[in-house]
Amino acid sequence: MRDRWKEKFLYGAASILVVWGTWELVGQTEWMIAKVFPPPSQFISSISSGFKLGLASQTTDIHTAILASVWRVTVGLALGFVAAVALGCGIAVSGRFRLCVMPLLSLLAPVAPVAWIPLALVVFGIGNSAAIFIVFMGVFFTLTIGCVEAIGQVPTRRLEVAALSGATPWQTWWLVVVPSILPAVFSNLRLNFVAAWMAVLAGEMTGLRDGLGAVVMNGRNLFDSRMILLGMFLIGVTGFACDLILRVIQKKVLWWPSNRE
Amino acid sequence: MMPEPAVAPMTSALDVRICGVSQSWVRDGAQHEVLSPVDLHVRGGEFVSLVGPSGCGKSTLLRIVAGLQPPTGGEVLIGGDRVSGPRSDVGMVFQEASLYPWLTATGNVAFGPRLRGVPASQRRDIAHHWLDRVGLSHSSRLYPYQLSGGMKQRVAIARAFANGAQVLLMDEPFAALDYAARQTMQELLTELWAEFRKTVLFVTHHLDEAVLLSDRVALLSAGPSARLVAVASIDAPRPRAVDGDWIDSETRHLRQLSRGQERED
Repeated sequence: MRDRWKEKFLYGAASILVVWGTWELVGQTEWMIAKVFPPPSQFISSISSGFKLGLASQTTDIHTAILASVWRVTVGLALGFVAAVALGCGIAVSGRFRLCVMPLLSLLAPVAPVAWIPLALVVFGIGNSAAIFIVFMGVFFTLTIGCVEAIGQVPTRRLEVAALSGATPWQTWWLVVVPSILPAVFSNLRLNFVAAWMAVLAGEMTGLRDGLGAVVMNGRNLFDSRMILLGMFLIGVTGFACDLILRVIQKKVLWWPSNRE
Repeated sequence: MMPEPAVAPMTSALDVRICGVSQSWVRDGAQHEVLSPVDLHVRGGEFVSLVGPSGCGKSTLLRIVAGLQPPTGGEVLIGGDRVSGPRSDVGMVFQEASLYPWLTATGNVAFGPRLRGVPASQRRDIAHHWLDRVGLSHSSRLYPYQLSGGMKQRVAIARAFANGAQVLLMDEPFAALDYAARQTMQELLTELWAEFRKTVLFVTHHLDEAVLLSDRVALLSAGPSARLVAVASIDAPRPRAVDGDWIDSETRHLRQLSRGQERED
């Protein structure tokens, strides 16, 4: 297992280094492409040289941009997760409620996170609430449907054991059903993270004035390829880091199987 | 030698009275009878096994006694009260241990007390006490996936005891274990039963297991429309030898009994 991990790491690192190295070599030349795609050594170094975003009084540091994007996606996902579990449980409890709500959810779930951007900008203006709204709406419906499905797959035996132990209905939900479904809903959340992340960035590119998406757009407006590539690079690295954190939570916190022994 | 005290105190052991319990399903408009009316009285503190071929409805009968499903006909009285649903003084051990995977052994055993609002430190003591009794004091912090099949069943038994079960319903609890583990579990169960005298209703399809453990063995015929063929007392004194000839002869006797009865049908 351990060796496999090492092997993966080595191959991954080697391939990244090869691409990076080639890029740097091309970047040393006088070719046109070196101007449009400045190599990492050039755009990454701009962080350390006191890189600022925006004009005059509105300047911010690059780490503020990272934090803004991460904060939005985190809060949106967290709210979506909690609300989806709550609504999912509600739907599973009441058959009639389920009949009323499920068609609505099925209609709203395919509305991709990015599709909520215009509405969010109209309703909330430019600010964190708009971005959080985009993420929330983008994942909430899918997660709720997934949650209802997960509840349907909770092994009957787990519920019987609760009943035999003397659990009230409320205790059964809170102590057996919810822990049973959390891993399934969370893995669903992780699958939806990429879409949520893209939606936040797109929101930042189109309406919001800060965040990593705004860095890229800023670069575009200034015809500064270094800033564009820096923004793209940070989007990649930050997104990867967030997914890594989600994966660690999945493996270390919510590690048990949802519907098996 | 001093005579043993006649009977261990049985103040809390509840009796189980199965009165004309039957079960049938309606499928495609036709009624399929799984279980013909069964009458069986398990006295408080008695160990009774239900034996029969697979599909004869013995697990169904046990689930009805547990209150997990209502019978089509008849009723079950536990300690004189009609069973209308699961109750916490009736514990059940299933073939698969059915532990909660997100709880440690301690957490699983302390689950019942937790439901009743027993404070954390107290229920940990309860859990440790029972884990100790089933020989798992060193594994209290392990999660179910870290436990072997036999260890999981020990936890399940400890859970039933910690929950204050007075009646223990066991649905082929050792069927998934290998021979050695099964033997140790049989010894453990005998030991616990001798000490606490819970009323035990034990479902198995191994006659020898039933003979070794039980005061009485109830034989069910093959389904559908399974019925109670015979109830035989096992009079061998306790403690019983695990590998004596007596098991073979009793088993043979029971087998003849069930065959003879079926031929009469």
